[in-house]
Amino acid sequence: MKKVLLVLFAVLIAALVIAEPEYAVEDYNGVPGGTLFLGTTSGPKTLNPYWAQETSSTDIIGWYSDSLFNADNKGMPTVPALATKWWFSEDGKTVYFQIRKGITWSDGEPFTVEDVYFTFTKVALVEGMTANGPGGAMDANDQLPTVEIVDDYTISFTWSVPNVWGFKWVGYSDILPKHVMEEAVDNGTFSETWTVADLDKIVGMGPFLPVEYTEGVRVVLERNPNYYRVDKNGNKLPYLDKIVYLIVPDLNTELLKFEAGEIDIYGPTAENFPRIAEQAEEKGWTVGVGGPALGSNFIAFNWVTKDPVKREWFRNEHFRRAFVYMLDRQSIIDTLYNGLGSPLYGPVSPSSGFYNPEIEKFGYKYSIVRARLELKKAGFSWLPDGTCVDKDGNPVEFDLTTNVGNNVREAIGNKVVDAAKKLGIKVNFTPMQFNSLVQKLLGPDYEAVIIGLTGSVDPGSGWNVWRLDGGLHFWNYSPELRPDTVSEDIWWSPDWEKRIDEIFRLQTSAVDPQERYDLFAEFQMICAEYQPLVYTMNQNYLYAHKKIVHLANPEPNPAAGTLWKGYAIWKEAE
Amino acid sequence: MLKYILRRLILAVPVLLGVSVLSFFIISLAPGDFLDYYRLNPSISAEQVQTLERQFGFDKPIVVQYFKWLGQVLKGNFGYSFVYHIPVFNLVWRRLGATLLLSISTMIFTWGIAIPLGIYSALHQYSFSDQAFSFFAFIGISIPNFFFALLWLFMAAKTGWFPIGGIISLNYDQLSFWGKIGDYLWHVIGPVVTLGTSGLAGLMRQMRGQLLDQLRQDYVLFARAKGMPESNVIYKHALRNAINPIVTMFGYSLSGLLGGAVLTETVFGWPGMGRLVIEALTSQDLFLVMATLLLSSLLLIIGNLIADMLLAWVDPRIRFRLR
Repeated sequence: MKKVLLVLFAVLIAALVIAEPEYAVEDYNGVPGGTLFLGTTSGPKTLNPYWAQETSSTDIIGWYSDSLFNADNKGMPTVPALATKWWFSEDGKTVYFQIRKGITWSDGEPFTVEDVYFTFTKVALVEGMTANGPGGAMDANDQLPTVEIVDDYTISFTWSVPNVWGFKWVGYSDILPKHVMEEAVDNGTFSETWTVADLDKIVGMGPFLPVEYTEGVRVVLERNPNYYRVDKNGNKLPYLDKIVYLIVPDLNTELLKFEAGEIDIYGPTAENFPRIAEQAEEKGWTVGVGGPALGSNFIAFNWVTKDPVKREWFRNEHFRRAFVYMLDRQSIIDTLYNGLGSPLYGPVSPSSGFYNPEIEKFGYKYSIVRARLELKKAGFSWLPDGTCVDKDGNPVEFDLTTNVGNNVREAIGNKVVDAAKKLGIKVNFTPMQFNSLVQKLLGPDYEAVIIGLTGSVDPGSGWNVWRLDGGLHFWNYSPELRPDTVSEDIWWSPDWEKRIDEIFRLQTSAVDPQERYDLFAEFQMICAEYQPLVYTMNQNYLYAHKKIVHLANPEPNPAAGTLWKGYAIWKEAE
Repeated sequence: MLKYILRRLILAVPVLLGVSVLSFFIISLAPGDFLDYYRLNPSISAEQVQTLERQFGFDKPIVVQYFKWLGQVLKGNFGYSFVYHIPVFNLVWRRLGATLLLSISTMIFTWGIAIPLGIYSALHQYSFSDQAFSFFAFIGISIPNFFFALLWLFMAAKTGWFPIGGIISLNYDQLSFWGKIGDYLWHVIGPVVTLGTSGLAGLMRQMRGQLLDQLRQDYVLFARAKGMPESNVIYKHALRNAINPIVTMFGYSLSGLLGGAVLTETVFGWPGMGRLVIEALTSQDLFLVMATLLLSSLLLIIGNLIADMLLAWVDPRIRFRLR
């Protein structure tokens, strides 16, 4: 009898050991319960992670979807998520991910390595299955990785050369539930799955799940009881019971709603920030300013424009540098951003961990005198009436455009016109509709443009812009990419531009983080010196929230906002 | 009468076809397409954009695209939205309710106030109340809708008398049936007053002018002379004649139901069609734009038909002609 009991006991212990899921323990000490109210200008368009484009969709998807790892407070990929650890092979070509044991999807099905394998081999890495395509996972030889299941909890990705960018791409990709998605993938209806009409079918690994979406009214998310994180007291996360997004299309209305206490966290504009800050004490709000945003606004001059005279000007680095000096960035920041912005002189925002402060040594500051000096170095001179002419006597005049309705870009444009006039240069500034602008940018016949691109912490995401064959290398399209508009004989690329191209190929293989940082540091120095794109300024990250809401992020910034680690946000009872 | 309605409906088919051709080609005249945002995304390659172009059929000439679309429409399939990846009708359907609720409430509000006020003003021409009504009506017409909406919301935020936009309260689910109706009415007042005030003045002046015209006619003089009671003269005879043009206006305003009021909807956060259409236009979500255009053309046709039938009902001369 004793023996039987002993065996039973041993079996019980074994079962308990196996059944205990590999939870992630978080160092938070919050109080469970409560509903968080947030505002958004527009509802989600689709809830399918691989077809969503707008932040209005990805914001919601981010709550129920999860990936192998997450970003830390500086936007670096260091936080274990569905994978507990990852490592590179000796030669750096293979990366291994070990996934969490014993955790389950929100519908109770076990999460297995098969789900990860399915996600990459059937969806993420397959041409035509996703909106963004698998381009981000390609290595320097344009090869996609081979995916292999190593054992029940380990999966590997192998490229032909080491591929850091691909490793990040894989790690941040949303993992799909095979048992839910397989059918749609097989019969070719994947892009039409998990649309806004399929809310009840969604199964996730994230802390919250969408339970209600009333078109144009609100999105309600409820806690996922099967979430795999716990706090240090053993409480299952997330703390909040519910998150409600109120869809408020008008920014003025959203401000009123925040002031009336209907919304808990608010992202003020630079325009209304002073008003919020003024009331903060009395209303019980916390307000704060993070670093400059990651996106960018810059002036691009077209080196392959139709007019050979203008091509000469635009290709001259002194000419471009004159524009760096002549633009009074601070006055634009003061008028447009209420002073809540920062001037930029290179392609990487100071908020990014890759920022190289060395570029500040160039000492670019507003100075008409230095702008004039640069123009002189470029061989320009001035007629008695003040008109700037090049060495052949052509008066300097060119067209500048941007998209209508973006008041920051329009303000920059007007400033450029004024500043250039002081130097005898005539700039014809005509904003145009966004779609026309894109058509123009992709063709041969623009001269100069003010535009911005979405940024990210990692400069590697700009590969499509900086590589010589990149589809958005729009100041100097290569003849291979645009054979019909750029002929071989007019194309010219300086050595430093080729070096940038090289850096962007090398950085993907740089498994050592320091090596990668150094490459990007060099890239920033080259950009700051030669100014292929004349960078302007950025608004700072602004936020406000009720004091009773305890954010998980100690200091919200452009890389990780107020909702970072949302599973650990908690709210005191009102 | 039935034959007449049938004839009108058959005639509507070529009209709708013409509308579809015109709108399809005018939309494609606009530069660029839905994929322009993809083209400016640094993390999407040129090859991927080409793949999507093939997937969406943008690589074909516009005429081919049109006939492909038309073929689908004849089968009852109005196409998929590029942005939402669901059938456009599904999408329009989800928004139609809110728009209709708002526009019908607005119509009841405007017509319910404008007609009696117009009649009252006509009967008390140049009196103090006539002048006062006109004064307020003109204020309503001259304040832009979005500004009025903002003022309203500001007032709501300061006083707490009304909700700050939206269509339902946060605790809507817990409310009783009558509580839900009350909640809706509480939310609809702002947009209705905003939209209603702008239409009010026009309609009221129209009603007043028409009735005044009729009251000066000989038959009114005659009726009064033979001793008919004043209320009979006005409500049985003069008003009946004065209402004709108003009925025609009613038909037209039916078609305006769909378009709604984009700015007002945006400021109040009202989940109607107006915003859907604007978003579809800016993102060049072609099939969604087409579906809403066709739907509003259809409503215009139906609105006209209903107006004609109403006219026939109030005016024997027209009824006679329709036979």
